[in-house]
Amino acid sequence: METVHEDKSARGFIYVSIVFFLITILIGLTMAIKFIFPDFLGGMGPLSFGRIRPIHTNGVLFGWLLAANMGLAYYVVPRLAGRKLFSEKLGLTTLALWVVIILGAVVTLAAGDTQAKEYLELNSWLDGLVTIAWVLFGINMFATIAKRKYEQMYVSLWYLMGTIIWTAVLWIVGNLPVYSGVNDANVNWWFGHNAVGLIFTPMGLSMAYYFIPKSTGNPLYSHKLSIIGFWTIAFLYIWNGAHHILFGPIPTWLQTVAILFSVSLLIPVWTVITNFYGTLRGKWAQGNYIVKFLLAGTTFYLLTCFQGPMHSLRSVNQIVSKTDWIIGHAHMALFGAFSFFAMAGIYYALPRILKRPMYSDKLGEWHFWLSFIGFLGFAISLWIGGFVQGLQWMDYTIAFLDTVKAMFPYYVVRMFSGLLIVLAQFLFAFNVLKTARSTTTPVSPVTA
Amino acid sequence: MKFEMKAVLLVLFVAAFMFLGTYFTMIVPLTDKALYTPTKDARDYTALELQGKEIYQREGCWYCHTQQVRNLLEETQRYGMGEEETYKRFGVRALIQAPPTEPGECVYDKPHMLGTRRVGPDLARVGGKYDNSWHINHLRDPRSTSPGSLMPAYTWLFDKAGQPTQEAVALVAYLQKLGTNIRWREEGVEQVKRLNALPSPAPKGGQQ
Repeated sequence: METVHEDKSARGFIYVSIVFFLITILIGLTMAIKFIFPDFLGGMGPLSFGRIRPIHTNGVLFGWLLAANMGLAYYVVPRLAGRKLFSEKLGLTTLALWVVIILGAVVTLAAGDTQAKEYLELNSWLDGLVTIAWVLFGINMFATIAKRKYEQMYVSLWYLMGTIIWTAVLWIVGNLPVYSGVNDANVNWWFGHNAVGLIFTPMGLSMAYYFIPKSTGNPLYSHKLSIIGFWTIAFLYIWNGAHHILFGPIPTWLQTVAILFSVSLLIPVWTVITNFYGTLRGKWAQGNYIVKFLLAGTTFYLLTCFQGPMHSLRSVNQIVSKTDWIIGHAHMALFGAFSFFAMAGIYYALPRILKRPMYSDKLGEWHFWLSFIGFLGFAISLWIGGFVQGLQWMDYTIAFLDTVKAMFPYYVVRMFSGLLIVLAQFLFAFNVLKTARSTTTPVSPVTA
Repeated sequence: MKFEMKAVLLVLFVAAFMFLGTYFTMIVPLTDKALYTPTKDARDYTALELQGKEIYQREGCWYCHTQQVRNLLEETQRYGMGEEETYKRFGVRALIQAPPTEPGECVYDKPHMLGTRRVGPDLARVGGKYDNSWHINHLRDPRSTSPGSLMPAYTWLFDKAGQPTQEAVALVAYLQKLGTNIRWREEGVEQVKRLNALPSPAPKGGQQ
């Protein structure tokens, strides 16, 4: 007897995440315009750069990417467990809470109500709600896994269980209002670095480990590599926070430890990448847009995680730290890699949830290519510009304002590339909307 | 229940590894006295300066301005005092480097304001660099004092007549406090004066 999945929570989270994605990338585009016309939407506090920047970052992180991944987890985990989700009701409650959190975040951040620490901006009320929502999500996941039909736990489940624990500890300890001065900065980056390393990385890898074999029809390349990859990530990531404050007012030993562990991160990354490429073998050329997103995401993951360890080297950090280069790097991880994985997951899961094919595969292809080209334009302009900026800062006789003016052409390319990215996501949303509202008789999906 | 051991073990090991790294990179520094002992000249913020810091946080100034002179020659030079500045203010023609940011300067910062990104210049040593009216003009119309700047005009810190509100005054008071937990401007000038007063060494013959 086949298990019948309701997938209400999965569907809800996916829809909500896409709506927040559109809102928060429009804010991103607004910021890109402000780099060219600083007076664009000027004169209003809630629309000024310093107020909307945290809405963009928190919005894409928690409103889009984490919510999308949670939605996919509600889809993946019951299937890997071979039983229904522990509680759809609990899932929908979590969803309602998540919507309240994100809307609350938009309002409070626009009003300037912030804890003024990167990625920890949300005020303590919202922090509490996030904690509750995360516990509800964790209960649902663990309870589903605990009652699973198969003894074997697939690697996606390890990553998911890890993510639930890492996120809970990071969020609670990072938000404690007890630190000050340099230690506050150190804890901030302990959180900030691991928000990427131990929340979005394992969550994204969990999904990629599921959707790469599923969408290509290939078996997982190596079970052994997935074990090595998981445990090295679990062991190595947490030591890296201080590489964000190199040459800064923290002890030299702490900086050196962070550098050593940062470089050692090449081990888990290359292990995982080998596994992904191995699983994708033979499907590079004939892949549809789902495979394209997974392949490009894997490649961007490789590249961003090569940049990261290199940035932590003192000689490189001296040049690129605090420049626009880093903005390109961050977007490669969170957009180029993990968002691409999530999009592939949505394209794979949604037709199976709704039991009808996507409205348009052509729009899916367009979504991929515009996102891909838009991202490359965005990142490459910032990498070149940021590197030039870093070199200019190394010569103190060049006035700071001249280094700002020198960035103008790069900012223009970034803005137009950003426009392409935004356009692509509207196609994505339109495709999902049409699929959701389609009246065609449900059939089993053909896309694979 | 045999196979549940695997899930329990996974959770335990994940937690243990997390604790290990956290202990060495976060808890050990928290117990490091050097990281929370104020510098000799450090003093806590006044009520006005603290209000200014809160406005600095509210407006997200810290997204574009770091507050850390990194321990690099190009930064101690860039954020120090140039020859023209020292001559104009102290009558001494010398480049005086800014000291790199020390942990003891930041102890009263809760939250910290080290920042990560420089769309505008670092502000760790900006206190005393400009007079108050420069800051007011800069906040009202950034491009009037700094052509090419990307900073927004903070019109909501000014009343209808264009006069700075109490908030603008507080923000400027905060900016003027930055970097003064080390008395580097005055001490730098003293040091240059002492060096200038030394008899110049007799030129040596031959190659140096």
